[in-house]
Amino acid sequence: MTINSKTLAALLVIILFGGIMASSTLGWWTTESTKEPVKFSEGEYAGQANPADIRGSYTFGDVANAFDVTPAVLAQAFGITEGDPAAFSLKELETIYADSPLEIGTGSVRLFVAFYTGLPYDLATAEETYLPQAATDILLEKGNLDAERLAFVETHTITPGMEASTPEAPSTPEAATTPAAESTEHTTATVEPYVIKGKTTFADLLSWGVPQAEIEKLIGAALPDPTMLIKDYATAKSLDFEVLKPALQAEVDKVKK
Amino acid sequence: MIKLFGKQIRIFRPRSIWIRKVVQWFFFAFIALISINHTLVESGSGIPFLASASLHALCPFGGVETLYTFLASGVLVKKVHDASLVLMGIGIFLAVLFGPAFCGWICPLGTIQEFVSGFGKKYLRRRFNHFVPFKLDQVLRYARYAVLVWVIYVTATSSTLIFEAYDPYFALFNFWSAEVAPTALAILGITLVLSFFVERPWCKYACPYGAFLGVFNLFRIFSIKRAESTCKADGACSIMCPMNIQVDTKTVIRDHQCISCLECTSEAICPVAKTVIFTSGSVK
Ligand code: SF4
Repeated sequence: MTINSKTLAALLVIILFGGIMASSTLGWWTTESTKEPVKFSEGEYAGQANPADIRGSYTFGDVANAFDVTPAVLAQAFGITEGDPAAFSLKELETIYADSPLEIGTGSVRLFVAFYTGLPYDLATAEETYLPQAATDILLEKGNLDAERLAFVETHTITPGMEASTPEAPSTPEAATTPAAESTEHTTATVEPYVIKGKTTFADLLSWGVPQAEIEKLIGAALPDPTMLIKDYATAKSLDFEVLKPALQAEVDKVKK
Repeated sequence: MIKLFGKQIRIFRPRSIWIRKVVQWFFFAFIALISINHTLVESGSGIPFLASASLHALCPFGGVETLYTFLASGVLVKKVHDASLVLMGIGIFLAVLFGPAFCGWICPLGTIQEFVSGFGKKYLRRRFNHFVPFKLDQVLRYARYAVLVWVIYVTATSSTLIFEAYDPYFALFNFWSAEVAPTALAILGITLVLSFFVERPWCKYACPYGAFLGVFNLFRIFSIKRAESTCKADGACSIMCPMNIQVDTKTVIRDHQCISCLECTSEAICPVAKTVIFTSGSVK
C-alpha cells in the first residue's frame, strides 16, 4: 500500500489523538502526579502520610488534603498574604524568599507540617532547613513540640535581624550549644561521623565498612549506583526512609563498634 | 493539473510537502499554548478550556527515560507522569508503521530548527547543510546513541530526570520560567545557531529520542522506496533530503536518520511520478 502526505498527516493526527482519547477512557491518561505523599508503612504512624515526601509541585491545598493543617495556617506561617492560599505552589517559596539569608523552601514546609502535626521527621536531614519567624510562632503557640524539636526551632528560625549575623548563625543543635563551632557540616561530621542522614550515600556506607551483601539484604535489591543518596533511593522505591535508616544504622554501628 | 490536447498536464508541482508544515506548526502552537497555560495556571490564572499539563507529561521521551525504573520497581521517575508512557506507546506504534514520523511531523524542536534553517538555505544556498566533513559527519551521526545510553543510565541510577537540565525541548517551551537550567538554554541557543548552517543539528547528532525512534527504521512497515526502472538518477532526492541521506543510491531507505518527511518523494522534489514513494509494498 502506498500513502501520500495528506493520508500520512491524517493518520498521524488520528492515531495520536485517538490514542490519547482511548487511554483517557481507560483512565491511563494522567498528566499530574497524584499529589499524595507516601505513607508511613510501620510503627505508631503506619498509614499516615509522611511529611518528608511533600514535593515542590504541591500546593498548600495539596498539603492540606494530606495532613491535618489548613492552607490558611500554611499561608500565615510562610507569610503568603495574596491570592488563594490553597492554590499557592510550594516551589514559589524559593522565589519569594530569594533574599533570605538562609534558604526557605519545600524543606521548610515539610518541617513545619511535621512539627505542626506531630508526625515523625528526621532532623538529621533538616540541618540546613529553616523556618520563618511566623512559622515558629505558630508552632510555639500550638505547644506540641518536645524538647528536641523546641531546641531545633530555636536554632533554625530566620529572625528579622538575622541577615547581618548570618555567618555566625547556628545551624544545628550541636552548633548552637558549641559557640566555637566553625561550620555546620564540619561540626556535624566531627560529632557524629558515622550517622546515616539525608545526605548519606550508599558509597558512604561501603566506605564505612558495611558489607555490600548486608546493604542488599536490607534494601531487598541489588546495590544501586553507590553515589545515590539512600534517601532518594528509598523515595524512588517507595520504601520508608524512617524504617530503612535505623536498619542500616544498626549495620553501621556493628562495624564501627 | 490542466487538460491540454486531451492529456493531464501538471503545470504546478509543489517542491515541498506543504501539509507537513501545517501539521508541524499546529503541534508547535498546541504545545506552546499548553505550556504557557501551565505557567498561567500555576500563577493563579489560566486560559479556560485549554489543558495545562506540564511539559514533562507531554513528552514521549519521558516514558523512555523512566522505562528502566518503571520495569525494575513499578514507579515512575519524579516529574514523569503516566501520560508520558501513553505517548511513548503511541510513538512506538507510529514508528513501527512509519518510522520516526514524530520527528519529521510533530516534534516542535524539529519545527523550530527547520524554521531557522529556512534562513540558512536562503543566505548560504548550496553551502547550507554541507559544512560538516563527510567522514566526521558519519561518525557524529551515532553520537545520539551515546546520549541515549547516558540518559537512560543516569535516570535509572539517580531516579531523577537529569536530562531536563540539558533538554533544549524543555528549554524551548519554558525559557520564561525559573525551572529551566542555564545548560538547557545554552544547548537550545547553540542548536538554533547551528540550524542556520546545518539542517536539524540536534536531531542528527544529539537527540536521544530521535536515536530511539531511528532504530525502527530498520524494520518499519512503510518506507521510502525508489523505483529504479523509472528513476532518472538526477539526484534531486538526495539533494533535498534534510538528513543528507543518499536516496538515489538505494532502493529502500533503511537509514536510522530518515524522519519520514517525504520531501524526497515524487509528491515533492522527485520529478518522475511514482518513482520515490512511501509504501509498504515493493517497487521495481
Ligand atoms: S530519505 Fe526522504 S523521507 Fe527520509 S529524511 Fe530524507 S527526504 Fe525525508
